[in-house]
Amino acid sequence: MARRYDTRTTTFSPEGRLYQVEYAMEAVGHAGTCMGILARDGIVLAAERRNINKLLDEPAFSEKIYIINDDLCVAVGGITADANVLIDEMRLSAQRYLLQYQEPMPVEQLVSSICDIKHAYTMFGGRRPFGVSMLYSGWDLNYGFQLYQSDPSGNFSGWKATCIGSNAAAANSMLDQEYTENMSIDEALSLTIKVLNKSMTMSKLSADKVEVAVFTRKEGHTYLSLLPQSKVEKLIKDLEEAELAKKEAEKKT
Amino acid sequence: HLSMANPMSYNGGCVMAMKGRNCVAIASDLRFGVQMQTISMEFDKVQQMGPRLFVGFPGLATDTQTVFQRMQFRKNLYELRENKSVRPQTLMNMISNLLYERRFGPYFVEPVVAGLDPISLEPYVATMDLIGCPMEPEDFVVSGTCTEQMFGMCETLWQPDMSPDELFECISQAMLNAFDRDAASGWGCHVYLIERDQVTVRALKARMD
Repeated sequence: MARRYDTRTTTFSPEGRLYQVEYAMEAVGHAGTCMGILARDGIVLAAERRNINKLLDEPAFSEKIYIINDDLCVAVGGITADANVLIDEMRLSAQRYLLQYQEPMPVEQLVSSICDIKHAYTMFGGRRPFGVSMLYSGWDLNYGFQLYQSDPSGNFSGWKATCIGSNAAAANSMLDQEYTENMSIDEALSLTIKVLNKSMTMSKLSADKVEVAVFTRKEGHTYLSLLPQSKVEKLIKDLEEAELAKKEAEKKT
Repeated sequence: HLSMANPMSYNGGCVMAMKGRNCVAIASDLRFGVQMQTISMEFDKVQQMGPRLFVGFPGLATDTQTVFQRMQFRKNLYELRENKSVRPQTLMNMISNLLYERRFGPYFVEPVVAGLDPISLEPYVATMDLIGCPMEPEDFVVSGTCTEQMFGMCETLWQPDMSPDELFECISQAMLNAFDRDAASGWGCHVYLIERDQVTVRALKARMD
């Protein structure tokens, strides 16, 4: 049934679906997990590192988390080559705004502008959509810390905690249960590790399979810092100890 | 009121930079005027473009601001894509390129670049003309409405291998005595001393005329 209506991006199917867009979202669903959690004083971003081939050269900064400007970074899920194009466009967009208004571009406006580009590929030109979903972690003066998610359709929304990529559904439902408002960064970090542990594609969570970054502000500047492996290892260990303690407590009762 | 006349001297102002031993200094006067009338005494023509990299843009004030803002755009993208701090030489070439893009309708600024290389910490100074012809000497650079006076002072006072304190004293005296002989420059001065581990900004007490 879908056959006749799925080869052209710009054609609706009789049931009112855009198959190419849905297939693009499928592509994202096969990618490594990316998660973002909004804490009261910052944002925690985590990404599953898929390419742990030891012959691979080290990435300059991160495999999945990219800096757009001083106050915004993104974690990408999907076709990396597609993502690179969008990242470059976002960087240009942010600088153009800064040049014109001599003010940093508000987060939602940047997200919106890149989503407009993504959307254009679902409506004009007959070219395939971008096979990329992104998590945007940003700060601006008016709304403070914000977390947004966008998908290949060009749709976006603001989130308190969300996940994209493989096993996103499991991770999202877990976040739904465990997320509480006004978490501290440390609580958000623990939650991130806990959720990743349950939903990772690979069997067991280890520090070399995941990148964790913390997005905070200090003295009027925004900082994105990738946690060193040792810190991630400690978080995993803390989680394991907590789980063990819980099991022991349950055994006694 | 007079018409625009010479855009390079319409607003007035001057910048100079000098090399020392493991340090550089850059100084700017603070006058902003419209021909003979002084409007502001807080118009510093030097802007920071990196942890140890400063650029001065003397000339037409509107172009001072525009060229700086356009350079910010290009420098920000450079640093995001290359994932490193821009080197003084590279920044100089970027500015030169930006100015030459307007070869037949130029920006009326003659920038001065001063900084330490981010890795080797080698001192660097440079200047260029309004269409981007670069000059990277071993000693000092000057730019603005009183270049004749500044050249005279620098040539007399500058020596190689000065310590940060000596360099500060040297550039301060050179600036003060040069722009005091120019009606279109002066009204205060800021001196930036850039060393390996710190940057010091000082305001000089000058003749306020």
